[in-house]
Amino acid sequence: MEKRLINKDALAGIARKMAMELTVWVPVREEDNVLFAPLSQDTEPFFAYLNSRNAPKQVFFPHTEKLMKYTRTPKGMVFSEEESKADKAVLFGVRPCDAQSFALLDMLFDQEKYRDPYYVAKRNNTTVITLTCVQPPYATCFCTSVDGEPLSGGGADILLTELDANYLAEFITAKGEKLLKYFGDLKTDEADDSRKMEISEKAKQAIKSKIPAHEIKPLLDSNFEHPFWATIHSKCLACGTCTYLCPTCHCFDISDEATGSDGVRIRSWDSCMFPLFTKETSGHNPRISQKERWRQRIMHKFKYYVDNFNAIACVGCGRCVRSCPVNLDIRKVVEDISKL
Amino acid sequence: MQNPYIPYPVEIAKIITEVDTKDIKTFRLKFVNKEDEEAFQYIPGQFGELSVYGKGESPIGIASSPTQKGYIEFTVQKAGVVTSALHEMEEGTMMGVRGPLGNSWPIEYLEGKNLVIVGGGFAFTTLRSLINYMIYEDNRKRFGKITIIYGSRNPGLLLYKDELAAWEKRDDLNVNITVDKGDAAWKGREGFVPTVCKEVAPSSENAVTVICGPPIMIRFTLPVFFDLGFSKENIITSLEMRMKCGIGKCGRCNVGNKYVCKDGPVFSLAELDKLTKEY
Repeated sequence: MEKRLINKDALAGIARKMAMELTVWVPVREEDNVLFAPLSQDTEPFFAYLNSRNAPKQVFFPHTEKLMKYTRTPKGMVFSEEESKADKAVLFGVRPCDAQSFALLDMLFDQEKYRDPYYVAKRNNTTVITLTCVQPPYATCFCTSVDGEPLSGGGADILLTELDANYLAEFITAKGEKLLKYFGDLKTDEADDSRKMEISEKAKQAIKSKIPAHEIKPLLDSNFEHPFWATIHSKCLACGTCTYLCPTCHCFDISDEATGSDGVRIRSWDSCMFPLFTKETSGHNPRISQKERWRQRIMHKFKYYVDNFNAIACVGCGRCVRSCPVNLDIRKVVEDISKL
Repeated sequence: MQNPYIPYPVEIAKIITEVDTKDIKTFRLKFVNKEDEEAFQYIPGQFGELSVYGKGESPIGIASSPTQKGYIEFTVQKAGVVTSALHEMEEGTMMGVRGPLGNSWPIEYLEGKNLVIVGGGFAFTTLRSLINYMIYEDNRKRFGKITIIYGSRNPGLLLYKDELAAWEKRDDLNVNITVDKGDAAWKGREGFVPTVCKEVAPSSENAVTVICGPPIMIRFTLPVFFDLGFSKENIITSLEMRMKCGIGKCGRCNVGNKYVCKDGPVFSLAELDKLTKEY
């Protein structure tokens, strides 16, 4: 694997140089939040961030996306495929948990049968540069309980780790190596590797929040009808914030928008927390209350995804915990399930 | 690679109003492009997403049989936004269809067996596809005895009346049409589907039953088939759920870890027993 050392102050410059040829998504400050946005003359990358408020899944799976357009003719409507715009891009400085979410989303969107062309085109054209968590950002982080760790390279093409005054850049994939030219020629030595190991150990120890995510699978297999499910949801507002901010939630709606003689078919994020999500035309709704919707959310992440893809659909970023307006905590739910 | 979200353009070639209440119509669709027609290779039991531009899509079972060449048919009840718009459309109008989607009736498994087809009301569409497939020329000899039990609330609500009459004339089909309540002109059988199943009492030996109908009909029909000795593996049905993508991505039509759109809609009772009851 190719490795380089770069001076800490050089990071923004590297991003700017890339932005002359590529679309470079970087963390930027917006009021008191950090969001990912394309780097431009008017934006300043902010790499000293904890984590972005929104998951960067939006780069591959935008909140709203055109699938096709159509035009009215005398005989009816005729459609044409909306060209899937996928510029060569770099997602610069995502946290390891979010990079891991791309590997999880790939399992769903990049299946052999029914490949999702919109997601896959953007994913294939984008290089992911992960900025590791030398100091775990939040007390709500629990990546180490869901197959992640603060210095994980899962889902990354290039891994950046802060080593005192420098960043260690590791070029994990061939896609990552194509960007070698931007990173100078300062080679690394064994001391850098062992320093990284030390930092990695320390960072792992610093993740204090732990959940029994793997232990609950057999309990979920056998407890679909358990009275426990009626105890979680009573204060849930069904606002959907947890699923909108979640890096692995991928449910979407498809709708038509027509104006005069033209229209588009779009898809937009949807949420299993919404009553209408499963409501049928007849009025029948198989998930009749917030109880069933909460059960679906937990089951999808910790059982169904494991059944179908052998992976837990949670990366431990803690966004749903931090942003829930009524302080519902998925960690507590998982903990409680483990005691059933 | 075919983009699975883009419908094939089709023209409404024919519209048949099926029932007296006029809220169920069969739409015969012809592909605009020959290559699309060739790409749309389906098996009875599969469904398509009908696309009405400006309104959206609706998942509907394919009512024609693949042995009917040159077109596909969907029988649609006027219910929501898309199907209401569809019901306003005229012959010659362009629309779209995506598919074929989902698994199908297990044709290979059914071969060499006796078939009992049980349908109720409007849920007869993909059963009609299966029947027309099985009785098509040489296909007929691949299947054993075929018993059909089909009922609706009243005579005016029976679908495919001409075909039912033609099937009744064949000596290689045992056709039992029933209505809950007849009218002055009705000369046929009266009675609920479960009762008629009991009266017809098809043998379970080397037999499979394929059942589609409203939940209440299914609830009372299943015990009849258990009593006749049908195993759960040999009772097959088709589920419905709210759907959008039809290809297992949008995340709403799952029952347990199975997506009705992609892993279904067809399940045996044995398979359904392993899933949660959230449908």
